Amino acid sequence: MLVPLLPRVAQGEVAAIDECLDRYGGLVWSLARRLSPTTPDAEDAVQEIFVDLWRNAARYREDLGEEATFVATVARRRLIDRQRKLSRTPKPQSIDETTFAYASPEVTTIETSEDGQRAAACLDKLRENEREVLELSIYHGLPHSRISERTGTPLGTVKTLIRRGLTQLRSCMQLSIRVIAEGGVSL
Amino acid sequence: MSSSGQTDKDRWDELQIDRLLIGLSADEQVEYEAFSGRMPASPSGSFEKVVASIDVGWWESNSIPLPEQLRKTIRDQAVQELSSPAPWPGKTPAVGQTAARSTRLPWAVAAACLSLTVFTLFLNRPSKDIVKNATQLRTELIATSKDVIELKWSAGPTPIAGAEGDVVWSPEKQQGFMRFRGLAVNETTQQQYQLWIFDKNQDEKTPVDGGVFDISSDGEVIIPIHAKLRVADVYLFAVTIEKPGGVVVSTRERLPLLAMVKKS
Repeated sequence: MLVPLLPRVAQGEVAAIDECLDRYGGLVWSLARRLSPTTPDAEDAVQEIFVDLWRNAARYREDLGEEATFVATVARRRLIDRQRKLSRTPKPQSIDETTFAYASPEVTTIETSEDGQRAAACLDKLRENEREVLELSIYHGLPHSRISERTGTPLGTVKTLIRRGLTQLRSCMQLSIRVIAEGGVSL
Repeated sequence: MSSSGQTDKDRWDELQIDRLLIGLSADEQVEYEAFSGRMPASPSGSFEKVVASIDVGWWESNSIPLPEQLRKTIRDQAVQELSSPAPWPGKTPAVGQTAARSTRLPWAVAAACLSLTVFTLFLNRPSKDIVKNATQLRTELIATSKDVIELKWSAGPTPIAGAEGDVVWSPEKQQGFMRFRGLAVNETTQQQYQLWIFDKNQDEKTPVDGGVFDISSDGEVIIPIHAKLRVADVYLFAVTIEKPGGVVVSTRERLPLLAMVKKS
């Protein structure tokens, strides 16, 4: 497991800023590109996310989770907040036109994050339709109505599939942690 | 159980998930806050951690590197903030509350003076520096203001081909920035751009003067808004072209850009 950087950032260590950008720049940028309507929006979003991170660095607690997961949480909150604000104004183009510019996620070959590894393994255990709506929602950032149009699934069913999928993932990931804690095989 | 037949747990789950995936409306946010105060934490952990873990898992297989120029900008901003007198949370060693309060005021005054000095410098330095620093201030405003409004410019009655951008405005701070790309460079001795801010509490004929400004490049330009009066409830921003120095009342004959707040 990687040594956390945010406690050093919170102490104002410039070298930790560089390491943080090296380690998490790709994570934040990848998320911003997928969940922003345009590249300039993504660039603005990334700057805001890192401001959030620097200011909240002291709140990260290693005992509550991995640092990468904390960074992704901060990033997603900011991106969804921006999406919400942008949705109050006319969109220059459909979100589909940009979000699908990114290939869907491949099967993961995790090297660093146990949380990510657990999530990927648990995703594989979901039904195909649950995995599909979660991918469209989480990865491509599509609203429920667009997922309904795209998959031909009624809106209510889309919501149900998302909720059921996430509930199963939550249980599966918790179970994986317990198995590891008890000294068993992780997944 | 709610009137729609949903149990509180169902509704709580729905709010948590919507918050993560699509965001909540103001009403839903109030409902979320109310639920969060009384619903027990799930023994299985939070949906937020699940979604963040999925984000991390997918990033590790589909990572896009952060562009170098953007990385440099973020780093410069961070280092600048680190060197400022106002400390980040956690940067200062823990001290007693009284001592902390007593030392905070001089720091705040120093920070305010520094900001004023820096802002004065912006006005007298080459345009490249103005753009860089206005960019940072704009980012800062967006990052620190929960109420900030973000609007895209749209073509007005006398559009300028290719002109685009956006405007951000914080009603609470009464601060904002306009961003333009492709707006025609003006000859300052002949004409200047002027911003007008339309307030619901003010006659449509007398919008608030948002300041006169110049465009020195057809690339990206960021201009701070200088509202001459307090704006209570903005519904429209408009850019007109006026004589040098601007006007008190515009004829609105040349009105290339508009940004309207969508009715909620």
